[in-house]
Amino acid sequence: MQIFEYNGSALVAMVGKNCFAIASDRRLGVQLQTIATDFQRISKIHDRLFFGLSGLATDAQTLYQRLVFRHKLYQLREERDMKPETFANLVSAILYEKRFGPYFCQPVIAGLGDEDKPFICTMDSIGAKELAKDFVVAGTASESLYGACESMFKEDMEPEELFETVSQALLSSVDRDCLSGWGGHVYVVTPTEVKERILKGRMD
Amino acid sequence: MSRRYDSRTTIFSPEGRLYQVEYAMEAIGNAGSAIGILSKDGVVLIGEKKVTSKLLQTSTSTEKMYKIDDHVACAVAGIMSDANILINTARVQAQRYTYAYQEPMPVEQLVQSLCDTKQGYTQFGGLRPFGVSFLFAGWDKNYGFQLYMSDPSGNYSGWKAAAIGANNQAAQSMLKQDYKDEITREEAVQLALKVLSKTMDSTSLTSEKLELAEVFLTPSGNVKYQVCSPDSVSKLLLKFGVTQPAAETS
Repeated sequence: MQIFEYNGSALVAMVGKNCFAIASDRRLGVQLQTIATDFQRISKIHDRLFFGLSGLATDAQTLYQRLVFRHKLYQLREERDMKPETFANLVSAILYEKRFGPYFCQPVIAGLGDEDKPFICTMDSIGAKELAKDFVVAGTASESLYGACESMFKEDMEPEELFETVSQALLSSVDRDCLSGWGGHVYVVTPTEVKERILKGRMD
Repeated sequence: MSRRYDSRTTIFSPEGRLYQVEYAMEAIGNAGSAIGILSKDGVVLIGEKKVTSKLLQTSTSTEKMYKIDDHVACAVAGIMSDANILINTARVQAQRYTYAYQEPMPVEQLVQSLCDTKQGYTQFGGLRPFGVSFLFAGWDKNYGFQLYMSDPSGNYSGWKAAAIGANNQAAQSMLKQDYKDEITREEAVQLALKVLSKTMDSTSLTSEKLELAEVFLTPSGNVKYQVCSPDSVSKLLLKFGVTQPAAETS
């Protein structure tokens, strides 16, 4: 039994023109059995920073709760929200703290930094950061996602086109993965608004 | 004669007093005052800024009011450096509770937890007590809006209206006279401004010398802690006829 494939997940984040999109599947399973079809994998840290966690669901929940703890204290002390780059460093440090007994998660961080510049990054379960200019993927469907994103991605897409691209990449990839799917959950974030949309794909 | 019982916090005097704790309260009696008033739809906190100088770098940070968590805030009176330590402790305690129980920490539990910390410094360790009094204002789903006052001994209680810092006894008696149970948030602001203006030592009351904050529920049902901007404070001072322009004093 592979621990990273126990619950099943698919996550992707993509950069557009002064915006970003972050999307996940909605299935929560226990190996071959599906337990929930509305599982939230992406959480908001603040209006311009979103955080998705793939992998073991219990570790994803705990890690998220720990990060909310740290971010709340940061907000109270610094009287401002954390920048995405700073947040990524924090996640990396927290993951490395558990170097020899890690959280079985792979995070995807997406946010708008200074001057509304989109920032995305992913890291492995012990905090090795991978910054990318175009897209990052995580989860059991990651290999399909890499292929789909590589072929569908274009630079400087507007929010609407970005939404279409991310949705198509996500749905086509999870269809090839039995452990993820049951629809999609997409957030498209611009400096002025956050659009949250649910996708209906192959409901299996 | 009682001097020989002063120097250690961990000793009672023959009369059964803890002198260090009382001396800590003396220190607070010289600090800028703060008033808190509980109303039907919110809690109002108002503080007198003692340190006002043209040279002071004005930033958005506040001197008297601090947010502890989304649903709790506090006003301080006393030694600022001591207050900073306790505020940080309170913030971490609130987050620890939320991490464990995934819900906001009830206000009284937060106050109690912080007061337990303060009490420790009056009983063991050989360290002096914190020279700070707090007014905690918050909301939780069990008891709605609440106002608590705590002092260096670690004692706390819930109040409908309370005052700490300089002239707090005068302020407290004024509040006792004028407070009504069904007061609204706006009336509470007015009462707080009136009481503070009467008990403040300084001759003129301007928005630079005040900090005003409110804890209330937004229409969507979330708790909000809002510090009034200096402009809105000036407007309120004029509206309630409380401002005393510096030119008038002789």
